[in-house]
Order: sequence, then structure tokens, then C-alpha cells
Amino acid sequence: MISLLGIYRPKRTALHLAPVWFKMLLLVGVSITSVLVSDPVTSIGITAACLLLLASTLPPLKATLKGMGAIILIAAFTTVFQVLRGEYIRALDLAGDIVSVAALALAVSSSTSMGAMLDFVTTLARPLRWLLPPESIGVMVSLTLRAIPEAAQILTESRVAARARGMDRSPRAILIPSASRTVGFALQLGQALHARGIAEHGRAARIEPRQVTEDDAPPPVLAEPPVREAPRDEEPAPVRPASRRERRR
Amino acid sequence: MIEFKDAAVVAPDSGVPILEPTTLTLTEDRISIIGANGSGKSTLARLINGLVLPVEGSVEVDGLDTQKHGAQVRRKVGYLFTDPSAQLIMPTAVEDVALSLRRLIKNRAEREEAAMSALREIGLAAKADVSVNALSGGQRQLLALAGVLACTPSIVVADEPTTLLDLRWRAHVGALLRSLPLQVIEVTHDLDSASRAERTLVVDLGRVVFDGDPKEAVAVYRDLMFGRASQGATA
Repeated sequence: MISLLGIYRPKRTALHLAPVWFKMLLLVGVSITSVLVSDPVTSIGITAACLLLLASTLPPLKATLKGMGAIILIAAFTTVFQVLRGEYIRALDLAGDIVSVAALALAVSSSTSMGAMLDFVTTLARPLRWLLPPESIGVMVSLTLRAIPEAAQILTESRVAARARGMDRSPRAILIPSASRTVGFALQLGQALHARGIAEHGRAARIEPRQVTEDDAPPPVLAEPPVREAPRDEEPAPVRPASRRERRR
Repeated sequence: MIEFKDAAVVAPDSGVPILEPTTLTLTEDRISIIGANGSGKSTLARLINGLVLPVEGSVEVDGLDTQKHGAQVRRKVGYLFTDPSAQLIMPTAVEDVALSLRRLIKNRAEREEAAMSALREIGLAAKADVSVNALSGGQRQLLALAGVLACTPSIVVADEPTTLLDLRWRAHVGALLRSLPLQVIEVTHDLDSASRAERTLVVDLGRVVFDGDPKEAVAVYRDLMFGRASQGATA
């Protein structure tokens, strides 16, 4: 599944040129239709259309075959299970649903840049701006996608390290270093985001007004014209007579 | 200009001092920081960007306090990490540089064009659409630098940027950093690179023990290291 991610290549196909909202709407629409419609003929039709759409985006062959191979394997297991239960039509319908949704998701991801997706998620998250800055929600989605291949790589490296120490049968020798390294990676990534000032402006805009110090405050607006010191030869200003209370003091 | 005013850092849990109160004014364009592992040189570098905040004293960049104006300071100070993999967030090179530019350029097409231009300047235009996982270590470090430079900082702090690179990439990244028309502060174990700076700080056990001429600084550092090693051997 990891090979399904990050396979975007800029091209000029119809799906590449389509707006992100249209592609996401198509993905959601097809997914809902696939679940609701249990007719095998419709399922096969939708699957064929989705596979054609995927092919139309001219995705990288090797990564696509690898990714779709895994999906087809899952679909095959599901089909065998349903056939063994004697539900032949359901078997065909389920396999079609799995392959069509995966193919369409792959077509969308291979024709949409992460930047465009980030813009889309940020726009979509605007109504939630009272909860979190939309930019931060967009970056969270990107980070989630970025973390998947990294976590898989950490797991593979931990497995190799455990094998090198002759502990390849110990789940503890694989899982504990994987978990601690994943946390370490998350911390590093957080520091990198902080250092690059990414998704910081939204938060800063909300916090900074409360943190204004005396030094930062703008010069006071003069409500009255500045008091001019009277020159020595000028007549002194008339003295206001003291009030009764002042005289008593 | 970077000013440390009695800036001190302690470990958050144990309270052990990581950096003793330090007062410095850094104005030179090329400054190197050398010291043993765990001596506090990275902490000193991180204070400049506001990644680490002082528990005592203050650090100011062009008059902006890192505690009060963290976001503004980070716009002025770009930070390059030792391991570029942790710094790259997006799947492809051009998208990663474009991510740095989101704050500055709202229009996507203009942002991507600016990102391409940043990649072209650093010699990575041919790798623009390549997955960051498919790049070599040197290319990743260059990409991380492109992401930093795209935001037009006035200072770049590089924390051992060449440690994980082979000789060829080390020379390339080192030369690129030296050619930048910005103030560059490099934390390094590469004494040749450190000697090329205008000013070198030697950090040892959380203190700046030497601040001045790079060649003298390297000599002080060697004495510190080998003196300590011979003391350890005789003890």
C-alpha cells in the first residue's frame, strides 16, 4: 500500500487538469455507490470505469502494479471467502467494490499534487478555524501521509537490526525500537516544522496580540497636541485659583 | 546581529545546566562553532532560531527577542538540521520547497514557480518531481537548504550539515554554504570548514571557552580533546 503514496507525476491528462474538489467528489460518490449498489453488473461496470480512469492518468507502471497487486490479492481472498460461503454474487460485488475504490483512489492520488491537496484540505477546514487554523489541519494531513512510509521504513530497519543480533523471532526486539524511533522521528519532524515556521503564522496571529509587551506597543496616539515648553520671555500661563478644598489642605 | 545576554539553558527534567550563562554578540558573516559531542554547541545554535529558549537571560536577533517574537525570529533565521530526512515533509522536492513558501505566496502557480526557481538556483531542478525518498543524502541536504533559502532568511544556522555526507557532497554543500550572501553560523566537526570562518567559538561542557580567530580556536579545541584523552589515559 505504501507504494500507492507519493506517486504523483505532473502530466496533462484530463484527471490531472480536473479540479481537486471534483476528484474528491467523484471518489466519495463512487465509494458510496459501490457500497449501496449490490448488483454485480453495475459493480463490474464501475470497476472497469475506475481502472480506465487510473490508466488515463499514466501512473508509474511498477509502483501502480505493485500497489494494485496487493489490492487484487485482498479482493481475491474476500472473493474466495464469499464463494466458500456460497454467496457468488456477493463475492463478485465485493471484489469489484474493493478494486474500483482502490483504483479510483490511486487515480486521484497519482493526478493530484500534495500541494493541491493541501490547498483543498485547508479550504475545506476553514469553517473549523475557531478550533484550529486551517493551515495546521492541512499540514496535519500531509504529515500523516509522510509518516506512513517513514514508519514502515523504521519497522523494516528494526527487523533487520533484530536479525543482525540474532533476535528476529522476538517481537519485543522489533516493536520497542520501532516505537521509540517513530517517536524520535515525530519529535525531529516537529522541530523541523518549528524551525521552518510552517503552520506557525495562524497560531502566532492568535497568540501574539496577547503577548504584546511595553517595548512592542506602538507609540501612543496623541489625543492632544504635544505640550510646547514656554519660552522664557513668554508670559506665564494664567494660574487657576485654588479651590476651597485645596485651600483647606 | 545576534546577541546573547547571559543566556542559559538547563535540562528540563533534571535541571542540569546544558549551557552556562553566555554573553555574545555575533556580527560576522561566517561563524563556526566547534566542540565535543554533548558540549552544548547545538543548544547554542538552536537558541538563535528559538528552537530552544533560554531559562535565564535572553537571545535577540536584530533586536527581536526569541522568547517574545519566536515566529518573527524564525522568519529571519533559517535552520538546517544534520539529518535532512527529518526536515523534508512533502513527497516530492518541488512540493517540499513550495510548502516553505505557503506563508509568503498564496497563489499556487506562483508558489510552484518560485519553488522551481529555488531548486534551479541550487542545482536540483532536474529532481523537482522526484520523491524525496529517492534522493541521495547530499541531494536531500541540498533540498533542505533550498527549502530554507526559499524563505529568504537573513541568517542561516546549519547544525552539522555535512556530517552524514560523503566527501564529494561534503565539499559541495560546504562550498554552497560559504557562497551564500547571508550570515551563516555553522556547527561542525569538520575542522577545515571551521577554519574557513571569520570567527570560531569553542564550546566545552556548556561554556564558550574560546571565541576568536578560527586557527587558534582549532588549536584550543585540539588541546582540549587530546589533553582530556591523555588525562583519561593516565588516570
